[in-house]
Amino acid sequence: MTCISVRGFATACLLSTALSSPLLAETPADTLVYGTSLAQVVSLDPHQGQEATSLEIMANMYDRLVGSEPDGTLSPQLADSWEVTPESITFKLRENATFASGRPVTAEDVVWSLTRLMTLDQAPSSKLKPAGYTAENIASMLHAEDAHTFRLDLTGDIAGDLMLYRLSEVAASIIDREEVEAHDANGDQGNEWLRTNGAGSGPFTLNRWDPNNIVLMDARDDYWNGAPKLERVVMRHVPESQVERLMLERGDIDIAGALSAGDTTYFKDSDAVTVQSIPTGGFYVLALNQERPELADPKVREALFKAIDYQGIETAILGPYGRTRHVPVPVDYDHAIPDPEGWNYDPQAARKLLEEAGYSDGFSVTIKTIAQTPRVELATAVQAGLAEIGVRAQVIQGSGADIISAHRGRDFDILIPQTGAYMPNVMGAMEQFSSNPDNSREANNAGNFVWRSAWDIPELTQITAAALKENDPEKRGVLFEDMQRKFIEDVPAVYPMFERFLPIAISNRVEGYKGHPQNVVRLENVTKTD
Amino acid sequence: MSSDTLGGPARAFAGRVLQFAISIFALIAVTFTIGRLLPTDPVGAIVGELASPEAYAAMRERLGLDQPVIWQFVSYLRDLVHGDLGFAAMTGRPVLDDLKIAFPATLELATLAIIISFILGVPLGLAAAFNRDTWIDHIARIISLVGHSIPVFWFGIVGLVVFYAWLQIAGGPGRVDVFYEGLVPPVTGMILIDSLLAGETAIFWNAVSHIILPASMLAYAAMAYITRMTRAFTLEQLNQDYVVAARAKGAGQARILMHHILPNITVQLVTILAISYGGLLEGAVVTEIVFSWPGLGQYMTSALLIGDMNAVVACTMVIGLMFMTLNFLSDIAYAFLDPRTGEG
Repeated sequence: MTCISVRGFATACLLSTALSSPLLAETPADTLVYGTSLAQVVSLDPHQGQEATSLEIMANMYDRLVGSEPDGTLSPQLADSWEVTPESITFKLRENATFASGRPVTAEDVVWSLTRLMTLDQAPSSKLKPAGYTAENIASMLHAEDAHTFRLDLTGDIAGDLMLYRLSEVAASIIDREEVEAHDANGDQGNEWLRTNGAGSGPFTLNRWDPNNIVLMDARDDYWNGAPKLERVVMRHVPESQVERLMLERGDIDIAGALSAGDTTYFKDSDAVTVQSIPTGGFYVLALNQERPELADPKVREALFKAIDYQGIETAILGPYGRTRHVPVPVDYDHAIPDPEGWNYDPQAARKLLEEAGYSDGFSVTIKTIAQTPRVELATAVQAGLAEIGVRAQVIQGSGADIISAHRGRDFDILIPQTGAYMPNVMGAMEQFSSNPDNSREANNAGNFVWRSAWDIPELTQITAAALKENDPEKRGVLFEDMQRKFIEDVPAVYPMFERFLPIAISNRVEGYKGHPQNVVRLENVTKTD
Repeated sequence: MSSDTLGGPARAFAGRVLQFAISIFALIAVTFTIGRLLPTDPVGAIVGELASPEAYAAMRERLGLDQPVIWQFVSYLRDLVHGDLGFAAMTGRPVLDDLKIAFPATLELATLAIIISFILGVPLGLAAAFNRDTWIDHIARIISLVGHSIPVFWFGIVGLVVFYAWLQIAGGPGRVDVFYEGLVPPVTGMILIDSLLAGETAIFWNAVSHIILPASMLAYAAMAYITRMTRAFTLEQLNQDYVVAARAKGAGQARILMHHILPNITVQLVTILAISYGGLLEGAVVTEIVFSWPGLGQYMTSALLIGDMNAVVACTMVIGLMFMTLNFLSDIAYAFLDPRTGEG
């Protein structure tokens, strides 16, 4: 009996699938479906999460004082105006903004949120640390002058106009104080709860998050800037690039965010899909550990630079992902200087430099990289280049967690990390390449990109600090150029190989979606045609 | 006499429970140790690349990773006894909550796959054996050879290209179309059942269109094995004297199959069923990734990659439990099907 019913059921399943007419695969016009890898989404607490996909989600659940447009200009968000003086920035908050809980957004919430960012002391707090804010001093720098006036005192380490960019990042999201405090557990400032829930004033609320499966966000009809045009946003976990391509072709997803170079180029001539190459302002970097005596020799470093076939890699591997650039500032930014002469593919000159440095027989190194497109391919290409000049390299692939902890612990010879810019100017792209206040091992400054390579650059650090706090744009421009020249002169141990782009493929049904370098694309004005 | 009949099963049951407890303990101990020896870093994965050393240390402490390994193990066991599997570093939720989503997804897929593979595999194996060295046998051999040798990954992608993208008769990756996501209240966690319970037939058929492709892909690989084994078992019986005798008495093929072969190979088939089902329930990692199926295999792999040991150990236990349960069930089935086992 059971056997028969089971068999009948299975037959019915098979038959119905085989006989049914082609399924309607089109996504509804009021729902945006985003296919990407959700594997790295580990926290939706804006003061903790920092991975690209998490940022895109949180950018729509929360508002910041200041918004940032895809072209890098700043726009009012929770603050409808602000005034910058050399000592402070005063923000006027808009009066009609409310949290999803219904509570109005007040200056108290702003003070509490920015304090929490620093005292929670997770990765996003590193956004404000270079500006001179710490867990200890933050409370004394923030002032709620009245319910809708908020003043931020400047530390003197950063110019006010540059600080605004920091406040436009997801890290500086404003959170519903009461809601989060109600979920405090053992003094964790509600972190455990907020990792998987939302308490923001943004245009969307979190409906559901199933890790490694799906994120659903619903539009807020009572959003202060009017209800979003979309009803729902769905992020779907599609870890396989080819599968994602099929889904985009069939119309089951509207945006494909984790395509391989090959699958991206597939859509180049498509009528139904457009490929956007989002400039991240960041780079694919060759990090050379200066605790290795061979790599500490500038001649050796320069030899390695000359061993890599940049043009070949750009055409064969990177495609939409990158273009050659050896100064850590995208070439189209103001005050960007051209690439230095001679840092191009020239194996003969490279061998000569190695000889001069006393390594005519070469040496052995390891190259560590996260097992991820296109970094693995990059590592292999670098390995081949080094082999040509007699440097024997072994590529070690690992998960994000493995490689990041090796990087943090200076436990590598060569490593291929990537960066991103936090604002569209020299400082935003370059600061992480040019500042290392204390290179000693004891300082254990693992959050600092340069420290990890043990590259000691006191002078460059000084120029960077001076540029960061310079209020006069002209003088600042001069310092920006000095930073880049000094960087080249010191023969970097954090060497930018390629400027990094993030290709995404978007269905032409979607209108108004523009990729953002800092992953803060807002979706309230995105629409879809039928 | 009576003490014997009562004591026998009771002792056997107690022995089984003890055996079970020891196996589970060994499983946990080994998984835990291996996990701690791996150079992966769940703390880095959570606090991120740019966290300060203090924040890093604080999270390490919160996850209990600053304690000596042996103490971590003891406190893990203590929580386990209270039914607490701990938090998954990866998802920030109790592991139990994650498993409530991942396991039913795999269970649903594996069950459908095993049903399909048995319905197709057993008759094919029987047909091959009864028609040994004829074209039927050759076709069966080719089918199972292909099922064995084609990489699942390639097979899955090609399946999607043909049935999803090209013929458009199968639903795409995921368990249902996005507009049905979250509309069915989870009762069992298996969407085929939950949608029927909720009376949502549209969602049910949509879920069927989504599950049929990955289930068929998995079923094909399992079927290859089942066909081959069924054929081997049947051939072994066909050569036995009793079958020759039955033939001599004029019994037809159907009678030989129904009255002689099937009763004699059922026990072996149950074993094959248990092994294949157990294998499928471990979660087919590759199939789950290709079809964006949020099951146990994918969950466990992601957990392993960041060294999230609470999640890994819990998954290992679930898999261990599944295998032991299946063993237990097949033992019962043996007793039913073959009176000799009951006495022994």
